[in-house]
Amino acid sequence: MLAPSRREFIKKSLLSGGVLAIASQELLALSTPLQILRVVQVDLFPQEMIENANAFAYITLILNHSRITQDNKQFLLNGTQWLNEEANNTLKKDYIQLNPKERQDILKNIALESWGEDWIKTVLKYIMEATLGDPIYGINKKEFGWKWLSFESGLPQPKEALL
Amino acid sequence: MSTLYDVCIVGSGAGGSPIAYELSNAGFKVLVLEKGKNITEEDVSKDELAVSRRDMYTPKLEDERHIINDREQDGSSTRYDGAEYSWSFWNGSMVGGSSNLMSGYFHRMKPNDFKLESVFGAVKGANVVDWCISYDDLEPYYEKVERVVGVSGEVIKHKFLEPRSTKNFPYPKLEENEVTTWFDKACENLSYESFPTPRAVLSRNALDRNSCSYSNFCGSYACATGAKGSGRAALLQKCTAEVRAEAFVYKLESDEKRITKVHYYDSKLESHEVHAKIFVLAAQAIETSRLLLNSKNEFFPDGMANHNKEVGKNLIFSAGGSGQGRFNFKNLSAKEQQDLMQTGLFFNRSLQDWYEFEDAGSRYKGGTIDFLFEHQNVISRASREFYNDSGKLIWGEELKNQIHKSLTQSRVLSFEVFNDWLPTDECFVSVDGTTKDKFGMPVGAINLWGHPQDIKVGEHLAKKAVNVLREMGAEDISYSVSAAPPPNLVAGGCRFGNDPKTSVLDKNCKAHSLDNLYVTDASFMPTGGSVPYTWSIYANSFRVADKIMEHLKFL
Repeated sequence: MLAPSRREFIKKSLLSGGVLAIASQELLALSTPLQILRVVQVDLFPQEMIENANAFAYITLILNHSRITQDNKQFLLNGTQWLNEEANNTLKKDYIQLNPKERQDILKNIALESWGEDWIKTVLKYIMEATLGDPIYGINKKEFGWKWLSFESGLPQPKEALL
Repeated sequence: MSTLYDVCIVGSGAGGSPIAYELSNAGFKVLVLEKGKNITEEDVSKDELAVSRRDMYTPKLEDERHIINDREQDGSSTRYDGAEYSWSFWNGSMVGGSSNLMSGYFHRMKPNDFKLESVFGAVKGANVVDWCISYDDLEPYYEKVERVVGVSGEVIKHKFLEPRSTKNFPYPKLEENEVTTWFDKACENLSYESFPTPRAVLSRNALDRNSCSYSNFCGSYACATGAKGSGRAALLQKCTAEVRAEAFVYKLESDEKRITKVHYYDSKLESHEVHAKIFVLAAQAIETSRLLLNSKNEFFPDGMANHNKEVGKNLIFSAGGSGQGRFNFKNLSAKEQQDLMQTGLFFNRSLQDWYEFEDAGSRYKGGTIDFLFEHQNVISRASREFYNDSGKLIWGEELKNQIHKSLTQSRVLSFEVFNDWLPTDECFVSVDGTTKDKFGMPVGAINLWGHPQDIKVGEHLAKKAVNVLREMGAEDISYSVSAAPPPNLVAGGCRFGNDPKTSVLDKNCKAHSLDNLYVTDASFMPTGGSVPYTWSIYANSFRVADKIMEHLKFL
């Protein structure tokens, strides 16, 4: 678990700059939460699906959404740092510097932890939203996800996105 | 002096809208104050992200929350901040209230529901009482709701069919999925009496409203055609009552015998007051009790109408649970697969064979089982596939394949069990001493406890539903019955009765201790029956409208 002061540091850093992953007071690497999320999304769901869902853009929408609580946004971001710590502690590299098999191994490791299981499910949840939500949000391009599941949207569809 | 209304109604859902409809149509000057926005047919959509995942129709919990004090079996209590735990008891903050979002499963209460204590006897640890009115008193109003709000269905004789003053529903039953024939056959094999679920959804154009469009998204969503009998579409849009949206009533004022005015905040947090001859509260059970408890003065130091400290007591929900079974393509013919996947058409089947039953020599009040296809929300359905059959979290290609197979080669049939949540001393509404909402008002505290008999009865019913699913050939059958309260099925807190010492309201739903205050949401119900509440709320509100009309003649 992160100490409160460190959590506050991460919270203030959020999206704009790099966040320092510090373990045992040692500078290890520089990876932004968004960089990590971009890679994790493709590690958790096939790349073709992620691209057609526009899932990465959707994550930035979620991190600015008026009806997503600050705690939930923070958990999404903190998880990237804890994932990165796991990568650094285990393989001495940032998560995004690992090869695909190594990244899968790290994901399997954190899935055994309560926080890791919850965090992976959170990322997957937003991937599902991007894959299968209404295209008015800039996601589910050309209804790719709906066609994948032969799903017909209810009518009427929204005229504007709820942000 | 501001405008003097004949009637001011707080809340615009199933409890408030019939009062507004009846009294304004009778020529009285009526004002409805609704906390939520005015959302009409033109505004609604089937946007799963907005409606079901971002909860666009309920307040942000950071702004407005409840405190939940959950009582354990050992008597200890755990305090949950609703915002911290994402535990919401809001239902539909909008003109028409949560009736906009209901599925509209409409069942009448049965004659014995009005006299539980007399028929079934006292239950240890529960405050079961008879109602102070009978089924016969309410029957004409059930019938009125069928006509005015619009209920579709087909009356099928069965063991617990309630007496009716008309032969059938005014609107024919909605179109059904072919799988209902599998269900009926299974019930026949089991000697169960299945019947089409009556729905507050128009099956044809009527009442200056459009028929159902079979959009496939009914429950949880507002209706885009006006077919669903929400308080807004069926009543408020069909009358001349003034509806003031985004008006949160935070306090009542009174003298010794009468409410003199209400105070509300508008969307800019500016305070206003309203004067009226009669005031009606219908803010849904928890919020109605909260408003009364937050309105203290020298005449009512414990809260308005709370002369006997009964306000908030005997809060009830609908007990029971839910379950499901899956039909897999591998077990079905090509025709059956096609029938199974046909969307839009309703399932609409119910069982009430065990509305009363005997077990181990004891007679119990049972309940209702409604069957329906799993909600079509596709994000939710996909998100239920995150684990494989071994209970392991999966991702990548494995997850993709599992989602595709599950959603394109099978379909889930669900059931919901409704039985009595017995009223007890331990389940009640109070106000929290430390937490306030964005308006600066103490938030409602929901003190939760479910009587053990609720679980026992729910289990009995759920096992019957499982029999049907098994007989139909479903796989992966499961169910859950617990004391977890469904937030959208809440009643009590201001029970009515003839004795002013033990009830808040009289038989006309007027406060015993105030001459011009009525409560017409589900707060009045001392017991809830073993059915969803909405039809009974509508019916009672139409009944009380007649009483208020009489009352106004003398003012």
